Amino acid sequence: MMMHNNGNNGYGNGVMTSASPTTTSLSSSSASANGQSTQQQQGLKTYFKTPEGRYKLHFEKTHPPGILPYSHGKSVSQITLAHLKEKPTQAGSASSSGASTSGGVRNAAARLLGVGGGNGSRALSFVGGNGASKAANGTSRSSSLAGSNGSHSMLNSNYDGKGTYLMFNVGDSLFVSDLNTHDKDPIKSLHFSTSNPICHSFDPEAKDGHDLLIGLNSGDVYSVSLRQQLQDVGKKLVGAQHYNKEGSVTNSRCTSVAWVPKADGTFVVAHADGNLYVYEKSKDGTGDTTFPVVKDQNQFSVAHARSSKSNPIARWHICQSSINGIAFSSDGAYLATVGRDGYLRVFDYQKEQLICGGKSYYGALLCCAWSMDGKYILTGGEDDLVTVWSMEDRKVVAWGEGHNSWVSGVAFDSYWSSPTSDGTEESVMYRFGSVGQDTQLLLWDLSMDEIVVPLRRCPPGGSPTFSTGSQSSHWDSICPVGTLQPAPSMRDVPKLSPLVAHRVHSEPLSGLIFTEESILTACREGYVKIWVRPSNSESQSSNPEIPVGNSSKELPPLPGKTGASSYKSVHLLIYSSNTFS
Amino acid sequence: MGAAGSKLEKALGDQFPEGERYFGLENFGNTCYCNSVLQALYFCVPFREQLLDYYANNKSIGDVEENLLTCLADLFSQISSQKKKTGVIAPKRFVQRLKKQNELFRSYMHQDAHEFLNFLLNELVDILEKEAQAVKSDPETSSPSDKTANGPKNAQANGALKEPLVTWVHKNFQGILTNETRCLRCETVTARDETFLDLSLDIEQNSSITSCLKNFSSTETLNAEDKFFCDKCCSLQEAQKRMKIKKPPHILVIHLKRFKYIEQLGRYKKLSYRVVFPLELKLSNTVEDADSEYSLFAVVVHVGSGPNHGHYVSLVKSHNHWLFFDDENVEMIDESAVQTFFGSAQEYSSNTDHGYILFYECLGSTSNKS
Repeated sequence: MMMHNNGNNGYGNGVMTSASPTTTSLSSSSASANGQSTQQQQGLKTYFKTPEGRYKLHFEKTHPPGILPYSHGKSVSQITLAHLKEKPTQAGSASSSGASTSGGVRNAAARLLGVGGGNGSRALSFVGGNGASKAANGTSRSSSLAGSNGSHSMLNSNYDGKGTYLMFNVGDSLFVSDLNTHDKDPIKSLHFSTSNPICHSFDPEAKDGHDLLIGLNSGDVYSVSLRQQLQDVGKKLVGAQHYNKEGSVTNSRCTSVAWVPKADGTFVVAHADGNLYVYEKSKDGTGDTTFPVVKDQNQFSVAHARSSKSNPIARWHICQSSINGIAFSSDGAYLATVGRDGYLRVFDYQKEQLICGGKSYYGALLCCAWSMDGKYILTGGEDDLVTVWSMEDRKVVAWGEGHNSWVSGVAFDSYWSSPTSDGTEESVMYRFGSVGQDTQLLLWDLSMDEIVVPLRRCPPGGSPTFSTGSQSSHWDSICPVGTLQPAPSMRDVPKLSPLVAHRVHSEPLSGLIFTEESILTACREGYVKIWVRPSNSESQSSNPEIPVGNSSKELPPLPGKTGASSYKSVHLLIYSSNTFS
Repeated sequence: MGAAGSKLEKALGDQFPEGERYFGLENFGNTCYCNSVLQALYFCVPFREQLLDYYANNKSIGDVEENLLTCLADLFSQISSQKKKTGVIAPKRFVQRLKKQNELFRSYMHQDAHEFLNFLLNELVDILEKEAQAVKSDPETSSPSDKTANGPKNAQANGALKEPLVTWVHKNFQGILTNETRCLRCETVTARDETFLDLSLDIEQNSSITSCLKNFSSTETLNAEDKFFCDKCCSLQEAQKRMKIKKPPHILVIHLKRFKYIEQLGRYKKLSYRVVFPLELKLSNTVEDADSEYSLFAVVVHVGSGPNHGHYVSLVKSHNHWLFFDDENVEMIDESAVQTFFGSAQEYSSNTDHGYILFYECLGSTSNKS
């Protein structure tokens, strides 16, 4: 729904459908221009409405109040979710090392012990780092489970719930919160004395200890076991494996880290200098590899480590400027990167090959995300647009207009299923969300059969001379593998309007995650809000009061006076250049 | 200062651009408004080159009466012809001339950088137009310049005589806005064009320049007390009005209206809103979807919490390096440092350095038709 082609009719129906959801937020933001911004800050609503019902603010998570704003420095809070669910069968069979009991702590303790038996190098790294205290910890816990009752019950309360933890970085710390409690404060803080943590990633499929990656501003990277951190009382990382120590490989800032799906322990780290390094956690981090100088800065190139024993195992030179975001398709086959140069690039990860990609409308791209089926990639950036890239067509298939500032987070809602879907293939609908520096969360519906094929004819009133300069030719055929497409012309891309626009924080937003139960939004300063999805009963009761997306459609788009006021508040308007002609 | 200069040279090393000069400007007591704008204009390469061309052509004519244009040209040529690559220059003559010319800038009070830029560009246009008229009315004075001048300036002056005069200042900075009003009764669209040298945009908290530009061109309804007189209907009618860019300028200067008169307070207040500006920009509020791309090359930054005091500095992009000019001091900065001048998301913040005037240059100059 909500899809319209800007080419000839952007003014009328497209704007009207989105008029009512956006009106509220926009009129409020213009109020802030009158010096009422302070009132605005407090005027944040604790719910928002969608056609399927109300999303309610359920929990809030943040850092302890002690942190002063200026200590945040330049780092922006990112969020990561971790599920530390019990894996009794796995624990029993995979690491069948004596401890066969189930239960979180025992399980973890088993890992602590089991590691020694399994892999020599890792055992060293566990005990090596912080020395005596940690070793003692491990011993006490494993030797007498009764002794660790305190922490056992603490963890147990969580395991009884969902076993889900939320991690977010603020300033020089990484905080861990229990997602499913009312506790606003984190249960754990990890302090980094040398440099700020910037990015992190959790591997739900990790078969042994290390499942959490942390990338720092200095370029250093750590892998640790989250469970082990939670069992420790200190503020320092315990049992960490340290990669790119003191910038031995690169001193460029880490911008994004990710575990390679289905690749057991392989991970990639993207840096601000346009390089991406591939590591294997089973390998030693200390014997760092050196790579030859990049020959052609403008060309994508991959260099492999000469020794098979050291980390990193490969360097991908992707671009000259910063890589701002990376994302693997859920099967791990493809890697998408976005960067300062405005390009989305999609690689075949195994073949180490550039498959396709394209440029933003203008400005840097800041974030990217895959659909679960791997068919679409969302990107967001400094052109205020949410871009939908089709892997099938290897081109931009839609632009989402609705943010009033840069788009800093995008995600598909993989738990959402179309209420109208009756199992037929054609009506596949995607729900996705975006967050921006305008402090808004936007939700969008995408139904590919409704996307109109972009115009190749001239828009009415448009100058025919302009069509020669447009990139229409790119729409006609799929370009060869490995070519990057230039920025499409505004006229050539169908536009989407948001289903919902909601101001969720008072600060610019930085992150967005969909879970089965809720939507998580995070702002740059380290506040996280958890919006619980509408339950079935609720959506029934609130149905009458959802004039949000659906019923506004029923309003005839009056060309006259009534329409005018809503035109003004909807920013999409000005793209429809042909209204007056 | 010499030490600072050498530090910059060291920082640039062998990447120091051939023939480029980076000179700080001395402050003569609250003249930072002037210095910050002058640096932005100096690193507006087409403007600088044309000004230096003009200077070269004009010098040969002989002694012209001193005016702001000759003072500016003199200053720019002084900077560009320095033997050293870095250092400090005192823009004394220029500042004296400015104060002589306009009493507004005579006092030692804090001045508005945008007001200064506006005054300067209009003054330059006036001087060039007057010169062109003098040439036209007095063929004898024009003949020597015909002999000596083989630069582009002369050709332009000749060409410009036919139509309304378009000086090289216009060619750089001037764009055309069209004010479209559609009568809601007869649907007739009345368009009125006006030229501009810069765009002044209202700003909102946590918005982007893209969004401010959209608001600038958003449709406004004229009704009730504020109806529109439609020539076709011959009566007052409700109408829709909006402003679009008919001809985008080559150099797009965007002024953020950070100083706002607050009626309740009875005075101006500085809006410290966070307004993000991308390093590349396309205009969406054009009459025709031009899709022409602009690149940010200078930012004049206001430092301070209020409108009546504070400081101005500028960020300048030159040969793909970003530089920070603070009166006498010149430093190299990382591109990512530009984002620290966006403003603050919270009203009371320790950060008071806010982007105030943005200078974008059109990348594909040939695509600039219409």
